[in-house]
Amino acid sequence: MDRELISKKDLLELTGISYGQLYRWKRKQLIPEEWFVRKSTFTGQETFFPKELILARIDKIVNLKEDLSLDELAGKLSPLQYETAVAHHELVERNIVSRLVVERFSTRGQLEGSESYTFEQLLTLFAVDRLLQDGELGLEEAGVLAETLREHLPKFEGKPCELLFARKMGVSTFALASAPSDVYYDAGVKLVVRLSMTEIAEQLRGKLG
Amino acid sequence: MMTETQKWPDLKINGVGKATGGRYGDVLIDGVCRVAGDLQADRFKANGKLKVYGHLQAHEMRVDGIVHIEGGIGGEHFVMNGMFKATGDCELERLEAVGGFSTDGMLNAGRVNIWLQTQSKVKEIGGESIRVRRQTTFRNSKLWRWMMPKLVPELQTELIEGDDIDLENTVADVVRGNRVTIGPGCTIGRVEYRTELKTHKTAKIEKEEKLG
Repeated sequence: MDRELISKKDLLELTGISYGQLYRWKRKQLIPEEWFVRKSTFTGQETFFPKELILARIDKIVNLKEDLSLDELAGKLSPLQYETAVAHHELVERNIVSRLVVERFSTRGQLEGSESYTFEQLLTLFAVDRLLQDGELGLEEAGVLAETLREHLPKFEGKPCELLFARKMGVSTFALASAPSDVYYDAGVKLVVRLSMTEIAEQLRGKLG
Repeated sequence: MMTETQKWPDLKINGVGKATGGRYGDVLIDGVCRVAGDLQADRFKANGKLKVYGHLQAHEMRVDGIVHIEGGIGGEHFVMNGMFKATGDCELERLEAVGGFSTDGMLNAGRVNIWLQTQSKVKEIGGESIRVRRQTTFRNSKLWRWMMPKLVPELQTELIEGDDIDLENTVADVVRGNRVTIGPGCTIGRVEYRTELKTHKTAKIEKEEKLG
């Protein structure tokens, strides 16, 4: 998957933060290590960042650091948790999740607009939608997946986890595993999808802005 | 009286010893010691020769002597006098180093103060304020450099990035910062600065660029 990257120099110019702040945030784990992408350019090695993710993150840190200490902030920025509430019409209008998935897996209150979606609910819908659109699973299976995520995702309490989807002799099965983990199957199993929920969450967050 | 902070056991070694890693309250090592595994402590103090096979994490660290770490270090305040060598990343809020400080990884620290007495090598340095000074007088002649290259008080690094950078006797490929001072004995490939750049007449800089 190719993401748009931004160089460190451009990033600092764009956001008006300094090298010192960037390094400090990295030390405090406000910016994950994986986002520092090293590439060689004609001026030597340079560091790049996934543009949308880093801009959203810096914006968030800058806005929150007035009220919170950096350590408190670090707790808030766990990748799978995000405070948001999105209403039904917004979800469809902004095309975050396809209409089909929204209508099938939402509660009555959400459809009527009296309830909004939490980030975790959105994450479930978003993951289901993504797999459906990739053509990896059928609608029946999507229901099982949504149920699995709804039931087990909260148990990870925001820690990084992976979604595994495997088939054997036409029977499908889902699993959630904490990441990083090694999973081995018997020879008859075909692993259809292995998806990092952290990454999905980041994408969703990018879409929510 | 037991207090909240004393719930972890202390590790004390005098003389020659070995220890396993783990979580400790106070760690005090005098003499020659080897620690196998990651070591975490509230306060860490070592005199003599120490080798750690793993990550060293402590709030306050004070080291005198020769320290070799097969891994990285992390902590709030690190004071050292002697020779320090690590293979991993060093993440600290404050670093005060006298002697030689080397790591194969990256040094990320809020305030870096290094007084050079011997050769130091760090892959990358990033932080808010970075200051490198030469402490010993060294005859900077070709002969001495050839005879005892390890004793040349010089910091070698690929990249230094920070807000305030003040360097002496540093060899770096790239230096980027807001206020940059390049002092005597420096050889820098490329300097990028935002507000100001001061250079000493004996410093060699291949390329300067003002940003912003």
